[in-house]
Amino acid sequence: MTAESRPLDSTPGAGLARLAGSTLFVKLVAGAALLALWEIGVRTWAPAYVARPSGVVAVLPEVIESRAFLSAAGATLGSVIEGLAIALVLGIAVGIAMGRSFVVDRLIRYYVFALFAMPMVAILPLITLWFGYTDAARLATTVFAAFFSIVLNAADGARAVPLEYLEVGRSFRAKRSHVLVDIVLPASMPYLLAGIRLAAARALIGAVVAEFFISVNGLGFFILFNSRSFRHNQAIVAVLLLAGCGVGFEALVNGVTRHYFLWYRRDEKPR
Amino acid sequence: MTGRHSTRALGWLITGAGLAVGAAIWEIAGRIVGAVFVAPLSETLEALTPAVWRALASSLALFAAGFALSVAIGVPFGLLLARMRLLRVALESYIAILNATPMAALIPFILSLMGFDFAPKVLVVFLFAVFPILYNTVEGARSIRPELIEVARSFRSTERALWRDVLLPFVLPFALTGIRQAIGRALVGMVAAEFFLSASGIGMTLQSAAQSFDTATVFAAILLVTLLGVALMELGGALERRYAAWRNIK
Repeated sequence: MTAESRPLDSTPGAGLARLAGSTLFVKLVAGAALLALWEIGVRTWAPAYVARPSGVVAVLPEVIESRAFLSAAGATLGSVIEGLAIALVLGIAVGIAMGRSFVVDRLIRYYVFALFAMPMVAILPLITLWFGYTDAARLATTVFAAFFSIVLNAADGARAVPLEYLEVGRSFRAKRSHVLVDIVLPASMPYLLAGIRLAAARALIGAVVAEFFISVNGLGFFILFNSRSFRHNQAIVAVLLLAGCGVGFEALVNGVTRHYFLWYRRDEKPR
Repeated sequence: MTGRHSTRALGWLITGAGLAVGAAIWEIAGRIVGAVFVAPLSETLEALTPAVWRALASSLALFAAGFALSVAIGVPFGLLLARMRLLRVALESYIAILNATPMAALIPFILSLMGFDFAPKVLVVFLFAVFPILYNTVEGARSIRPELIEVARSFRSTERALWRDVLLPFVLPFALTGIRQAIGRALVGMVAAEFFLSASGIGMTLQSAAQSFDTATVFAAILLVTLLGVALMELGGALERRYAAWRNIK
């Protein structure tokens, strides 16, 4: 993009001007400005232990290689993935039953919606009563956090299956189980993916808050422990990893939706 | 049209039956496994003392303060980004990243920097709620076709008219979607703040009741906070349907 590679550009500033106009450049400048603001703000007003970009970069290699950090990351992410998997299997079953059966829908809709609307952290005291201060309590929290958004979205998806698909299935005398697995499930995938994206975000929050509450090994506890011992730079590394997981999972689900479900119009309503 | 009427009546009948069966299961489960693990419905309702209601009111004040702040900052800032394209391009990726970050992870930092006042708790609720609002508002800003603004300009629209007739109607439905999503997150932030910062409100009720194995009060507090969540989400959904109806017409 320099002047040498483009001999036809007579004005030396033209390449630079084009670069400045590109969105990536604008984003990078904004990012640098935000980091600089953070750095300067902390240096000017905050005590020395407060995290700032230069400090985080300095401790980054040491933290990433440390045993404590790796085992914390493994514990939290493992629990989130396990919880999501359990919630997914149960949630799809319940959701599709709700979406395809009038009776099931009317029977449990208020309970499902109420438990979806309930702030999941509120059940932490109850979960510690049931499961004690253990890994199982964290897993239960992630399952609970993820389950209801999957149910609601799977039900929406199963409800939105075009009638023609079902009629074709019926004219070929497809069995009910085949209709559910081969027609309803694939047709409701885009809704389900939107539900999974939301569920993953909720499960991540659930895991972190559960670790604060029950003090089991994990990224949330890593953050709590390090921030209490005034090692904010180290703690921020865990926050960055959590942010990366949140962003990465969202990008993954969006990518899958775009790649495999091109036919799907983007009029979803994320819940 | 009797068919539709009878279907609706049947639906309500089944719903009523479902609620009744759920209540019965709750009551019976409580009596079987013991009131320390599951407080039966009857005991839960008895535990709805004035103290629990007062705790709910205190939590609601925290919610209202943090949520109002996030709307008051999120919506105008989102509108500003709708008008200033360069600023939007510069910041939208960072807003999306922060929207996907579990804000709960920041609670320990807020605790060690700001301590145990009311303000840090408001900040937690604010951080939980503001990014869905910003994120959706920016999404709305991106959906405004530049031609609309150009047409308004060529008809010599004033800046005020441009905001009133183009920007606001376009961005408002998206902002309302964000506000509805923010309600759920702000409730989580509210309870989390009451757990981990200075204990107060329904969070404190939950924690102290669980520590003394007063499960009935735990259930009563969860019941109230759930009803609060349902009421607020219904309110958000109703607002969205009322003011964003045109978006669904295609």
